[in-house]
Amino acid sequence: MNSFSKYTWIGLTAARSNLAYFGEVASRGIFLFVILYIFLQLWRITYAQTDAEQLGGLTLAQMLWYLGITESIVLSSPQVALEVDEDVRTGALAVQLIRPLSYPLYRLWTTLGERTVRFGLNVAIASLVALLFVGTIPLTFRGILLFLAVLPLAFVLDFLATFLVGLGAFWLENTSGLMLIYSRLTMILGGMLIPLELLPENWQPILQALPFASILYGPARLFVHPDLSFAGELLMRQGVAIVVLTVLVALVYRTAVKRIHAHGG
Amino acid sequence: MFWGLISYLKLASTYIWLNLNAHLEYRGAFLTQVVAMIVNNLVWVTFWGLFFTRFPVLRGWTVQDVITLWAMAATGFGLAHTVFGNALQLTSLIVQGQLDVWMLYPRALLPHLLLGRMNATSWGDLLFGYGVYLFFVKPDAVHLALFTGLTVSVATLFVGFNVLIGSLSFYLGNSEGLTQQWRNAMLTFSTYPATLFEGTVKLLLYTLLPAGFVNYLPIEALRSLSWIHAVLAVAGSITVLLVGVYVFYQGLRRYSSGNLMQMRG
Repeated sequence: MNSFSKYTWIGLTAARSNLAYFGEVASRGIFLFVILYIFLQLWRITYAQTDAEQLGGLTLAQMLWYLGITESIVLSSPQVALEVDEDVRTGALAVQLIRPLSYPLYRLWTTLGERTVRFGLNVAIASLVALLFVGTIPLTFRGILLFLAVLPLAFVLDFLATFLVGLGAFWLENTSGLMLIYSRLTMILGGMLIPLELLPENWQPILQALPFASILYGPARLFVHPDLSFAGELLMRQGVAIVVLTVLVALVYRTAVKRIHAHGG
Repeated sequence: MFWGLISYLKLASTYIWLNLNAHLEYRGAFLTQVVAMIVNNLVWVTFWGLFFTRFPVLRGWTVQDVITLWAMAATGFGLAHTVFGNALQLTSLIVQGQLDVWMLYPRALLPHLLLGRMNATSWGDLLFGYGVYLFFVKPDAVHLALFTGLTVSVATLFVGFNVLIGSLSFYLGNSEGLTQQWRNAMLTFSTYPATLFEGTVKLLLYTLLPAGFVNYLPIEALRSLSWIHAVLAVAGSITVLLVGVYVFYQGLRRYSSGNLMQMRG
C-alpha cells in the first residue's frame, strides 16, 4: 500500500467511525440550531433598527447563511489538541511512533475524515435553519466549487494550529487553557461572530492577513459572495499560512520527540 | 434550624478550602484554566464592544447593559460551581452508581454531595464577572450591593437547574448528551440580551430554559433599581432550586447501588 492510499484509508476509517455514532454527532446540531436562532434574532433586529438593506455588503439572508457556514466549520472541529495531549501524557505517542506511519499525518487524516462527516451534518442543519427563517440566497455552481476548493485548506490550517497546541503538552501541565484561548481568538479574529467588514476599518487589513480569517471568514464569505479574485487571494493566504505552520509543527515535533523516554514492560 | 445552617456553612467553608488546595497542587494547570476562562469571557465582551461600536443601541440596551449581563451570568455561574462543582457532574455520578459513598455520611445527601468538587474554570468566571463589572460599569455602593445579592440568586438558579437536569438520569438512564445540550442552550440564552426574544421563546425562557432569571429580571433590577424585578428574580431562582431538589429526591427512590468500591481522600 503506498503512502497516499494508506492515509486516505485512515481518513475514510475515521469518517466511517463517526458515522457509526451518528446520534451523538447529530445531537450537537441542537446547539447549532439554538445559536443560529439567536444570531438570526440579533441581526434581524439590527437590520430593522438601522433600516439597512445590506450590512458589510451582506443582506440579512446572506448574513444568516454566512453565520451558518462559520458556525458549521467551528462546531465540526475534532478535539485534536486534547487527543495529542492525551497521547503525550499517557505515553501512547511512543506506541504510535513504532507504527509504519507518520504520527502527524495519521492525526491529520483522522481529523479530516471526522471533520468531513461533522461538517456535512452541520451544514445540512444550518441550511435547514436558514431556509426556514430567511430562504435561499443566489448560489452558483462556480461559487460552490470555489468554496469546496478553499474549505479543505481551511481544515488543514486549523489542524496544524491545534496540533501545535497539543504538542504543548511536552512542556505544559495542561493544554486545555491554551486551546480555549486559540479557539476564542479564531472566533473573534476569524469573523465567526461578525463579518470582518463590520469591524473597525483600520483593523481589517491585519485581520484579513491573519490565518484565523483564512479558516472562517474566507470560506464563508466566498460561499455567500462568490468572487474569483477573492478566492485567488484566499488560496494564496492559505498556502502561505500552511507552509509557515507546517515548518513550525515540524520543528516543534522534532524537538518534542527527542524528549520521549520509553520504558519496556 | 439556625445551628443546622451554621454547621452547613462550616462544612461548606472546609470543602472550599480543601478543594482549592487540591487544585493548587497542580498550580500551573489551575492558573492556566482560570486565565483561559477569563480570556474566553473577555472575547465575548470584545465582540459586544465591537458590535455596539457599530450599532450603539439594541432595542434600548447599551453596551453597559450587555457587560452587566455578562458580569451577572459569569459571576453567578462561577459562584455556583466553585462551591457546588458536583452540580455539573451529577449525571455521571448517578449513572456510574457513585452516590453510594455520599449516602454513608451523616449529612443530608444533596447539599453535601454538591460540595464535593470545585470546578477550576469557575474561578475564572467569578473573577471575570466582578472584574468587568467594577472596571467597565463602575457601580455605586447601592448597585454593587444589589449586584452581589443578585449574583447569589443567579448562582442558586444555576445550581437548581443543574440538579434538575442532572437528576433526569434517575429516570432516563444515561442522559449525558441531553443534559449537556440542555445546559449549553441555557448558558447560551443566558448570555444574550432578553430583548432579542419574544413570543413562545420568551415563555421558554421562564420555564424549560429559565434564562430569563439571568438575562432579564436581574439586569432590569440593576438598570432601574427596581425591587420588584429583584424579588421576582430571587423568587424564580428559589423555585427552580426547589423543583430541582424535588426531582432529585423523587428520582433517588429509583437509584440502584453501583456496588462500587470507592475511597475519598
